[in-house]
Amino acid sequence: MSTESTAVAAPRAAAPNLTAVFVRLKLTLLRNGLRQSAGRTVAYVSSVIVGLLFAAGAVLGLIALRGNVHVGALAVLLTGILTLGWAVMPMFFPTGDETLDPTRLVMLPLRPRPLIGSLLVTSLIGIGPVVTLALVTGAVVALADGPAAALVGVLAVVLVVLVCVALARAVATASVRLLTSRRGRDLAVLSGLFIALGAQAVNIAAQKLGRPDGLAVLEPLGDVLRWLPPASAIGAVEATGQGAYGRAVAGMALAAVALALLLFWWQRSLTALMTSPDSSTLQAVEKDSARRSGSGEGGLVRLLPGGRTGPVMLRTLRYAWRDPKSKMSWATALGAGLLAPIVSSVQGNGSIYTAFSAPALLGLQMYNQFGQDTSAFWMVASTIATPRDAYQELRARACTLALVAVPYVTLVSVGAAAFIGPWSDFLQVYGLSLALLGALIGTGAVTSVIFPYSIPSEGNKNVAPGQGSIAWFSLFGGVLVGALLCAPLLGLTIWLHVAGLHHLLWILLPLGVLYGTGAAVLGLRLAAPRTVRRLPEILAAVSKG
Amino acid sequence: MGNEPEHNEVRAGAAPPEQTSAASPAGPSAAPGTLGAAPAVRIQGLWKKFGEQIAVHGIDLTLPAGRFIGLVGPNGAGKTTTLSMVTGLLRPDSGVVEIGGHDVWGDPVAVKSRIGVLPEGLRLFERLSGRELLAYMGRLRGLPGDEVDKRAGQLLDVLDLAGSQHKLVVDYSTGMRKKIGLAAALLHNPEILFLDEPFEGVDPVSAQTIRGVLERYTASGATVIFSSHVMELVESLCDWVAVMAGGRIRADGPLAEVRGAAPTLQDAFLELVGANDRGAGQSLDWLGGGGAR
Repeated sequence: MSTESTAVAAPRAAAPNLTAVFVRLKLTLLRNGLRQSAGRTVAYVSSVIVGLLFAAGAVLGLIALRGNVHVGALAVLLTGILTLGWAVMPMFFPTGDETLDPTRLVMLPLRPRPLIGSLLVTSLIGIGPVVTLALVTGAVVALADGPAAALVGVLAVVLVVLVCVALARAVATASVRLLTSRRGRDLAVLSGLFIALGAQAVNIAAQKLGRPDGLAVLEPLGDVLRWLPPASAIGAVEATGQGAYGRAVAGMALAAVALALLLFWWQRSLTALMTSPDSSTLQAVEKDSARRSGSGEGGLVRLLPGGRTGPVMLRTLRYAWRDPKSKMSWATALGAGLLAPIVSSVQGNGSIYTAFSAPALLGLQMYNQFGQDTSAFWMVASTIATPRDAYQELRARACTLALVAVPYVTLVSVGAAAFIGPWSDFLQVYGLSLALLGALIGTGAVTSVIFPYSIPSEGNKNVAPGQGSIAWFSLFGGVLVGALLCAPLLGLTIWLHVAGLHHLLWILLPLGVLYGTGAAVLGLRLAAPRTVRRLPEILAAVSKG
Repeated sequence: MGNEPEHNEVRAGAAPPEQTSAASPAGPSAAPGTLGAAPAVRIQGLWKKFGEQIAVHGIDLTLPAGRFIGLVGPNGAGKTTTLSMVTGLLRPDSGVVEIGGHDVWGDPVAVKSRIGVLPEGLRLFERLSGRELLAYMGRLRGLPGDEVDKRAGQLLDVLDLAGSQHKLVVDYSTGMRKKIGLAAALLHNPEILFLDEPFEGVDPVSAQTIRGVLERYTASGATVIFSSHVMELVESLCDWVAVMAGGRIRADGPLAEVRGAAPTLQDAFLELVGANDRGAGQSLDWLGGGGAR
């Protein structure tokens, strides 16, 4: 919507002042984006507030650290992290800023050099540059010692902000081919995972730095970063304060050269981009040698059963690896399933029962099976004519899940027993885990049929708009029922403990295996005839969005 | 496609046993247009509403077997909705659909093994390569693995996809997607093929390839029913036409009959839909002439 008005507005006003046009364009895009929905406005405003609060906190913290021996290393490191953030930002949010996408400007009669100046100024508008400006200013205030250092500091702030913004633009322009290609979009879907991992790293780092004299850890890293632009400009501020003018000049020069090089690189890739065919007309270059052997198939694939089961399992496994949404959900389940026992083991006060997170999270993979197919479910629907077909289809999917989940649950249970202990509880935990997994597979099959919902293939959302309540209901309801289904076994466990019959606790392992298998098979049997009856309804539900 | 005996043998292998005995004379080996043979498709009183909007407005339609049939109409005429309901992908509000004499909703076993479908606007399993997709679909249809691989190889060759068979379908162009979808629909040698806009967005070379395959397929006595809004295409391919507009069938029958006295099907169609007097009026008088701005 807004792009159309952009395309019309830009060339007309291009004659007077390009920079003014782009600044206005950016403001219009911002305003139109906010106008689209109240929710978006709220989200934007709250992100602005959070960003400003965060920046204010960081600045106050930095100023409070003024005079600390290691504050130089901290300020330099902070600048380095900021720069890294700016460098990777376009990878994760390729569509975040429409003026960031140079392909939209290709058809306009613009020359790269004036264009770059205007785009650079435009990039300075937004919450990101403001937060960066605040943080860098805070770093300089914490460091600057004396009027000379203050003067250098002002220059350093300008340089750092410009380098950050130019870096993001240059990276976005150079990688626009990748970002608009399928692989780039796949990467963007996985970005949530990287952010989660990054958050964990930050968490661990913060704990380390929080210790007394924790800042000393930063010194070796700071020594390297002081010579890397644009952090070298911050290093220069510190050096000026210490009277090391040679180092200061070198640091500032490094940052300035970096800015010049970035602008040069940006201009070159922009020129290349605007004078060569865009990605939509180019065939995707693909490494398909791995799949070339596909028709013969390796030894492991041959082990899959025949009939409907084998092909469905193979397809599901391939999707777990190749489809970014499936990969993401598998990685999250496997990672998070392991997280609870590990965290509890590291803290040293954990319980072996945290191992239940593994079957719980993996069992949830059985939910919304058909939604994971997206509208390609029609291919499945067109081959299901009898409850038997549906049963085989669902059973194959459950088998795929079990193929991964059973060894994984075994591993986590053994690991929990080994690292948290006690081993005496292992058999009951393992048995109950398998029972829970089976119950979730069974209820997952049923809810997949009764409450299907579509998963948008792009972006970070896992539920199509308007189907959120179905998704939550099916997940929570399913988990609740799954847990209730395990109640008899849980009751038995508690009774055995209370009655002091500890020597009989081993019985929970065979019982758990039987119980889990039974629950899974029962769920599949209940789901199969409903699948056949509801094929068009399921297809309609998973094709939305 | 195999020759005739192989054709029948494979169908017997592909279909569940209870269906083989019930096979009607409408099989592909039956001569096209034989008197008394069940029609390929019989639709009675088919309705579909989406909210307030009536997409399909009580259709009655009988399509003969062994023909190349075109379902034509402007965008939004209800073609896709009708084809979805006929192929069992969308549940009608009311109405009866029979394929080869079998009720689509009452007897899915008999129907699903007899038809091939290429829907419009629905995705394929795009994270499989072209060959993997065919291998998957063929086995899902219950064909033996060796047979699937043999047929997939031949289809990929004929459809000019052999060079891209190991590429993921997600990286295919529109034409290649239509072709791999067509291959998946033909894999189990169906009696009736339903194609929704098979030529939409397809380059001329791919279109010619698809055309060649479809002509070969109908020549063996099978039925093709496809939707399109390109009249020239329908006119040159089909021998039977059904014209749809506003959720209703406006005319149907042999091509010559529907065309009537009009010089082309396009003219006949515009007359039927009542849209042939809408020219570009005076309002664009500034357009053209090469003047600046």
